[in-house]
Amino acid sequence: MRLKTRVSAYTLSCALIWSSGALAQQQKAEVLHWWTSAGESAAVKVFADQFTKAGGTWVDNAIAGGVNARAAGINRMVGGNPPTMLQFNTGKQFDELVTNDLLRDVDKQAQAGKWRDIMPKSIVEASVRNGKFYAVPVNIHGQNWLFYNTKVFADAGLEPPKTFPELIATGEKLKAKGIIPIALGGQPTWEHNLFRAVLVGNGGADLFRKFYGSRDQQAVKSPKFKETVELFGKLRGLVDPGSPGRNWNDATALVITNKAAMHFNGDWAKGEFIAAGQTAGKEYGCTLVGDGSSGKLVIGGDVFVFPASKDKAALAVQDKLIEVLLDPASQLEFNKKKGSIPVRLDVDVSSMDACAERSHAVLRDPSNQVEAMELLSTPNFSGAIQDAVTQYWNNPNMSADAFVEKVIGAMRDAS
Amino acid sequence: MNTIEPQGCRPRRLTVGRVGVYAFLLTAALFILLPLWIMIMTSLKPMDEIRLGNIVALPTALTFEAWSKAWSSACTGLECNGISVGFWNSVRILIPSVALSIIVGAINGYALSFWRVKGANVMFGVLLLGAFIPYQVFLYPLVRIFSMTGIYNSLLCIILVHVIFGLPTMTLLFRNYYLGLPIELFKAARIDGGGFWSIFFRVILPMSTPMLVVATILQVTGIWNDFIFGLTFAGRQNLPMTVQLNNIVHSTQGERAYNVDMAATMLAALVPLVVYFVSGRWFVRGIAAGAVKG
Amino acid sequence: MDTISIRAPSISAPRATVRHRIRTRLPASLALLPTALVVLVVYIGCLLWTVRLSFTSSALLPKLDWVGLAQYSRLFANDRFLTSAENILIFGCLFISGCLILGFLLAVFIDQNVRGESLFRTVFLYPYAMSFVVTGVAWQWFLNPGLGLQKLVRDMGFPNFTFDWLVNQDMAIYTIVIAGIWHGAGLTMAILLAGLRGVDGDLWKAARVDGIPTWRVYISVVLPLLRPMIVTATVLLATGVVKLYDLVVAMTLGGPGIATEVPAKFVMDHLFERNNIALGTAAATIMLIAVVSVLAPWVYARYIRSQGRLG
Repeated sequence: MRLKTRVSAYTLSCALIWSSGALAQQQKAEVLHWWTSAGESAAVKVFADQFTKAGGTWVDNAIAGGVNARAAGINRMVGGNPPTMLQFNTGKQFDELVTNDLLRDVDKQAQAGKWRDIMPKSIVEASVRNGKFYAVPVNIHGQNWLFYNTKVFADAGLEPPKTFPELIATGEKLKAKGIIPIALGGQPTWEHNLFRAVLVGNGGADLFRKFYGSRDQQAVKSPKFKETVELFGKLRGLVDPGSPGRNWNDATALVITNKAAMHFNGDWAKGEFIAAGQTAGKEYGCTLVGDGSSGKLVIGGDVFVFPASKDKAALAVQDKLIEVLLDPASQLEFNKKKGSIPVRLDVDVSSMDACAERSHAVLRDPSNQVEAMELLSTPNFSGAIQDAVTQYWNNPNMSADAFVEKVIGAMRDAS
Repeated sequence: MNTIEPQGCRPRRLTVGRVGVYAFLLTAALFILLPLWIMIMTSLKPMDEIRLGNIVALPTALTFEAWSKAWSSACTGLECNGISVGFWNSVRILIPSVALSIIVGAINGYALSFWRVKGANVMFGVLLLGAFIPYQVFLYPLVRIFSMTGIYNSLLCIILVHVIFGLPTMTLLFRNYYLGLPIELFKAARIDGGGFWSIFFRVILPMSTPMLVVATILQVTGIWNDFIFGLTFAGRQNLPMTVQLNNIVHSTQGERAYNVDMAATMLAALVPLVVYFVSGRWFVRGIAAGAVKG
Repeated sequence: MDTISIRAPSISAPRATVRHRIRTRLPASLALLPTALVVLVVYIGCLLWTVRLSFTSSALLPKLDWVGLAQYSRLFANDRFLTSAENILIFGCLFISGCLILGFLLAVFIDQNVRGESLFRTVFLYPYAMSFVVTGVAWQWFLNPGLGLQKLVRDMGFPNFTFDWLVNQDMAIYTIVIAGIWHGAGLTMAILLAGLRGVDGDLWKAARVDGIPTWRVYISVVLPLLRPMIVTATVLLATGVVKLYDLVVAMTLGGPGIATEVPAKFVMDHLFERNNIALGTAAATIMLIAVVSVLAPWVYARYIRSQGRLG
């Protein structure tokens, strides 16, 4: 008798564990992403908590470095063991996964959620292939911000520049005072990022699109482009000699510690200022350098894609994830922590920091939105241009014409 | 009794030569320790002090926070448990991989240097060439092969991968070491009627200690520090510690805590360092020589 | 006649039957069988696969179309790849010779019955234990003119002292060599030390009796005896040269400009970051051909043709 009850109690508890296990199995989502720094971890926690609240189990698979994470994700898709969703940068990185039918189209959700109406047009276009959404954008990063140290500018009695010729004049004055005018992380990625900031600021949105998007050789041969390249070259003199090889974080630190005045970077750089206890609009400011107007903002960001599946339960979990990602409350919280701004322009951003509010305001006017390089160009072409830019930047003897020559070669050759 | 036998003269007092020996070793040690000094100093400072850039200076505000953070509370994504998470996974990958790859390497080296198998040298040549290809080129086809056999993303899979990529160096190491051993030993064992395995275990293996130590150093370091294979083949349940380490120290767009980075790197290196230190007692003289005489 | 034979004993045992020989020598070939399979499937298989992909237009995922030599003509028009090839030659020569010299000296000096041998050995080996991602940052800071050595010496009262190799296009590759030797010398020392400890003790006694100075014994007697160990160390270091990647990424990311780019980084960037598998595998194939043409004559002479114990 006693044995019998014990046995049945045992089977009952087994059954309970089994069913709860099965339930958790149903709602379990494995998410592969590369957000691993302290600030990024806090941001991804917003999504995870929301998903847990909605009854799901978030299995976090974080791998630092976009290249590592993407390679791991693609290997797992190829090996037949994909995660529930994985991160990419907004743009062309996942084109081939779509053409190989490895991704699920989420257009039904997009139509229900009116994504085409609430997101910037360029972000929509970067997520749509063959008329259907294949990716869920989660944020917008502005890439061409000028961060400046307010104290350094106040002490020198100078105003943050509005155009690049102005910036060079201001920079020379700062240099004369023994301050590093521009702090630059001297790695090809950041040199290239600086080039793009100059290209869009001085050359304009149209030239930027012709360069990275349509690879217009005529545009590259134009006097405006040459002028822009020469202007970019002049910035070399405003950077300290210790720049080559430096991490961008160390460049930001130069601005934080009052050693440098200005730093071009994406808005993710706010993470370093925040970690140092500084506030946007107080110790540091952010502005866009261009034609003197409100400025053009180069926008990219992150998306999640969903490996195709025939399993109904898996699809349901993906549906739930999509809901969480684009929920207005999680959008606001996530982007506050990430340093980006919500991908939904209908979210109230008045509780965000000064730089984020500025981003949001600039983006309200669609003519200020410029697609980031990742949206316009293949990773291969971007890489070839990066090789050319870093050579030009690091070799003061290289003429603008020689640079143009290299660019045209890359336009012809790169796939 | 004493197996450690000095060569050259064994000076009892401090001569000019002795001073020279120590001077050289200390100078070399200083050069080699320099980056470690920077790392230790950085790991003991708060970030505000690191931003100022006095990299070799002693910390003005000494703190061990970065060390405890690196070990148990740094965020690496959703989880904030530092690098300790993957420690046991790394150990579970390390021990069988090191043991298996060294055994296979020793047997290969033995078969290649004392026995003559047709085609073996061609095989060895190809293996050596394989050691010159960047691993990353192999990743995609290997993923396909392992997913076909059904062991992709498992502990077995990652162990096999480590053994496969350890083959060239391990085989080379033991083959060349055995080539240096006197052949007379082997001949004598053959005449005594020893077979392939009995000679290996009774004669050759006992003489392999210095090479076993070097092989262990090589494999423990390589496998413990491996990131790309573990990430690709181990599966989420078995991810090694280096994945957490990478998550802490490597970030494209995130802010950086250099003190935690440095502490995490030094903590992650402790296992190989202990192996280096301990394995030294087997770095002794006279094993081969003693065996010949015996 | 038969496929398996033993070197020395086969001469002294001519009367052994074929059956007996096969029974005793079969284990040797069986022992090598797993390795042979791995060589066939993984090494040769993956090599052929890599070469095949270099004739395609594969981007993010491999595909098996055919574009002939298009990737190769792109490769040889790419100045970054050409600079990489030049850099690897400079790095390879200086790194291997540097590691061998320093490693040999460390091994010899440590072999003088010094106190704290284990400690010294661990100190010399520790760089090898640490991930380059972060030790590279320490080097980068130390070599940075505004943070490290140059600033220190200037602060000590030598305002004209200049050490800016890291940020100088012509000199940056040598900073990679310095950090490389720092990383690799310890392992070389360990291998050579293991070799030194295998040298017959009688040799030293004999040398002492004859009154030959210690350094002469090392140069003219010990060094030749260490040859197999030196070969081992050289091959290990050479594989490190060809695969050189982490170090460059951690210290310079190929800069300033493309001054410190290396072939393995070219391959990796194109395989993973730039979604250009075809060009990446073409570069890997060229690397392989270069290695084969350097090594093949040597491997052939030493390991395949020669049947003796030391060719």
